[in-house]
Amino acid sequence: MIRIYRQLLVAQIQAAAQYRIQAVLWMLFSIIRPVIFLAAWTAVSNAQGGSVGGYTTSDFAAYYIALTIVGHLTTAWNSFEFEFEVRQGRLSPKLLRPLHPLHYSVVENLIWKVTTFLPLMLVCAVIALTFQVKWTGEWWHLVLFVPSIILAAALSFMIGWVVATATFWLQRINTVNTLLQRTSFIFAGQIAPLSLMPTALQVISYSLPFAYVLAIPAEILRGGVTIERGLLYLVGQAVWLTLAIVAYRFAWRAGLREYSAVGA
Amino acid sequence: MIRYLRMFRAFASTEFQFEMEYRANMYLSIFEMLLVIGTSIGAVLIMFGHTTTMNGWTLPQMIVLLGVYYVIQGGVSLLFSPSFERLMEHVRVGTLDFHLLKPVNTQFLVSTRHLKVIRGADLLLGLAVVIVGLVQVGEQVGIAQALMFALSLIFGWALVYSLLLGLVTLSFWFVRVENLLAIFWAFTEAGRFPVDVYPLWLRVSLSTVVPIGIAVTAPANVIAGRMDWVAVAVLGAGTVLTVGIASALWRWGLKSYTGASA
Amino acid sequence: METPVVDVRALRKVYRVTERETGLAATFRSFVKRRYREVLAVDGITFRIDPGEVVGFLGPNGAGKTTTLKMLSGLLHPTGGEATVLGHVPWRREGDFLRGMTLLMGNRSQLVWDIPAADSFLVLKEIYAVPAAQYKRTLDELTELLELQPLLHKPVRGLSLGERMKVEFAAGLLHSPGVAFLDEPTLGLDISMQGRIRRFVAEYNQRSGATILLTSHYMDDVVALCRRVIVIHHGVLLYDGALADLAERMAPYKRITVTLRGDVGDLAAFGDVVSSTENTATIHVPRTQAGERTARLVRELGDQLADISVEDPPIEEVIDKVFTSERPLAEATA
Repeated sequence: MIRIYRQLLVAQIQAAAQYRIQAVLWMLFSIIRPVIFLAAWTAVSNAQGGSVGGYTTSDFAAYYIALTIVGHLTTAWNSFEFEFEVRQGRLSPKLLRPLHPLHYSVVENLIWKVTTFLPLMLVCAVIALTFQVKWTGEWWHLVLFVPSIILAAALSFMIGWVVATATFWLQRINTVNTLLQRTSFIFAGQIAPLSLMPTALQVISYSLPFAYVLAIPAEILRGGVTIERGLLYLVGQAVWLTLAIVAYRFAWRAGLREYSAVGA
Repeated sequence: MIRYLRMFRAFASTEFQFEMEYRANMYLSIFEMLLVIGTSIGAVLIMFGHTTTMNGWTLPQMIVLLGVYYVIQGGVSLLFSPSFERLMEHVRVGTLDFHLLKPVNTQFLVSTRHLKVIRGADLLLGLAVVIVGLVQVGEQVGIAQALMFALSLIFGWALVYSLLLGLVTLSFWFVRVENLLAIFWAFTEAGRFPVDVYPLWLRVSLSTVVPIGIAVTAPANVIAGRMDWVAVAVLGAGTVLTVGIASALWRWGLKSYTGASA
Repeated sequence: METPVVDVRALRKVYRVTERETGLAATFRSFVKRRYREVLAVDGITFRIDPGEVVGFLGPNGAGKTTTLKMLSGLLHPTGGEATVLGHVPWRREGDFLRGMTLLMGNRSQLVWDIPAADSFLVLKEIYAVPAAQYKRTLDELTELLELQPLLHKPVRGLSLGERMKVEFAAGLLHSPGVAFLDEPTLGLDISMQGRIRRFVAEYNQRSGATILLTSHYMDDVVALCRRVIVIHHGVLLYDGALADLAERMAPYKRITVTLRGDVGDLAAFGDVVSSTENTATIHVPRTQAGERTARLVRELGDQLADISVEDPPIEEVIDKVFTSERPLAEATA
């Protein structure tokens, strides 16, 4: 398996080199939304005398920069790509090979994140300067962050795959994708740090997987959790990841049956 | 002039007939848009749960702004971007020649040939949001204000049009202009908040290079009573200038495409 | 002599092509300074076409045919020379000019794929400001000539290549242009469809009197439709005159093919033996002596002769000779 991954990496890196510019541009999408909301919350915070609900302007900045980094590192576009591939008829050849199609997208995903990481950090540095951020975390926050971001990325990826399998039945999953994006928009901590949301919405957020992809790792990174809370969050992420993997296996198997019934 | 209107009607009706064939898609599009607008309003409500003003903007004024954002977005996705997307492909594949063979102004053809009629629904939904906001604002909106509002909307559309036209003209010289367009679409997100909340560099770029900021904020400012006739006139002058420059750039690009000497 | 519909004088087109060598260093260099290569596509051609003519533009790929058509339809500005079409300078792209002509490009489609052709036609009607009555008449006539009835209301996407070509033709002629430039109109079509398109073009020219200038590298197109042919190679006009005369000038011989019952002996006495197998031989004989040589062959071979045929040389051979001559031939007077 390691050898396969190594080969895939080599091949994909060459392919990705052709799209260097697009890759960096795509990174812009990860950044714009958090910056916009940061600017808005800064305005709100200023109107309220410098802080809102325990978040100072500097805290907001730290949160949203953390969110930017987390958002970037957990990006997964497999639901879109999968639908495209099926429509183009490119899924069948992949199914003929003894390698699960999932692995191709893992490699693509990783390569993009690695190649765009440096430009991302550069931009984050600029934003940090613009909004005068001060980091208030401890060293163990960073330690906790490592497993957290890995779990988050994996979770985001698996959710993407579960949605992707909807293609087998719906062919065009544009609406499903939008539904997912908008739900994530509300409940993943993009609009506001979770503790600033109305209580009812907070409860929903913690019951859905989306917060475990974005808001939670972001809070850990910015140093806004206690050790106990942090560990609890990690458990929550692991639980959701397991659920997602189970859901995925189920959906994939059912989907393949549907696919071959229709005539792959 | 009448001819151009009749042509436009022909473009719109053929496109509409085509889209009607895919009824399900249309309904889904509307549903998606409702979802998007609904969640955006939700976001604004959550923010205003913690404050009564943001940089001087009250909640009803923000709602109006959000509505204007979707009106401008809807307008541009309805009319100009479908045509411009096809244009880039035409230049690449060589079918732009067919436009050049027609006895019609090429800029007109290239900007309006294709519509995405369903996006008109986005525009209407945005307008509905604006009206809801206006009701909340409470005070009477006078005729003068309404006129200025409409004018600044038109100017806003024209500004965004100029930018898109400029970008698309670049495809005469550079092949991969889609990337630039992607940057543009990324920046348009920023239009959902008033342009004055952003740091200076962003504010400036959103008022000039990517004029979505000013296109959305200006009409909302009119409603908020922060823009007077003079400001609208200045905006208008700037718009006319920008459209003029973009059109000149287009003509230049076309000349280079046909090998005309400068 | 009437005023020509197409009047071309010393028309010239030079393309500037950027040159890029491969390799990393060259890529960097090209950012700083671009290297250009000049490609001479059309090198000073002159000709005139009268109303109602059907003229064929012959030449191998890259000869400059398409470039010439693009200049005559106003798509390209020439580097030198002059031209008028229907009394207008094409690249000024005046409204009257654009309304009076059409350019059909064989391998490219101008119709919107997702909607039925009939709908695209309606759009074109508005663009060309065709009055309703005339539109109906023209559409009916084109539908009849091209057998479009079953095709008009299906999305263009769903038509076969041949069907799409027919519909594209109709689209280009809806505004009843006085001049039609056809660029490789039968490219990619099967034999029967090629024949149908050729018959259509001939019929259309008859009925409407439109002047037609068509380019092709299919000889059959030209032979079927054009009495007059212009040969272009390397951007230079090599021949302009009647097709029949061309054959006579370039290939003043006839081709006699004999099949014998026994072995083919030495037939050099009868003419230029260009090929032979065990039982057959192909002999080129001067045109004027074709009859006499044929009679001699029949007489002297007697019952050895199983079959004999006398033909003009294939037109491809003729044209090939024109291409390889590379110098313009003196214009044959009509």
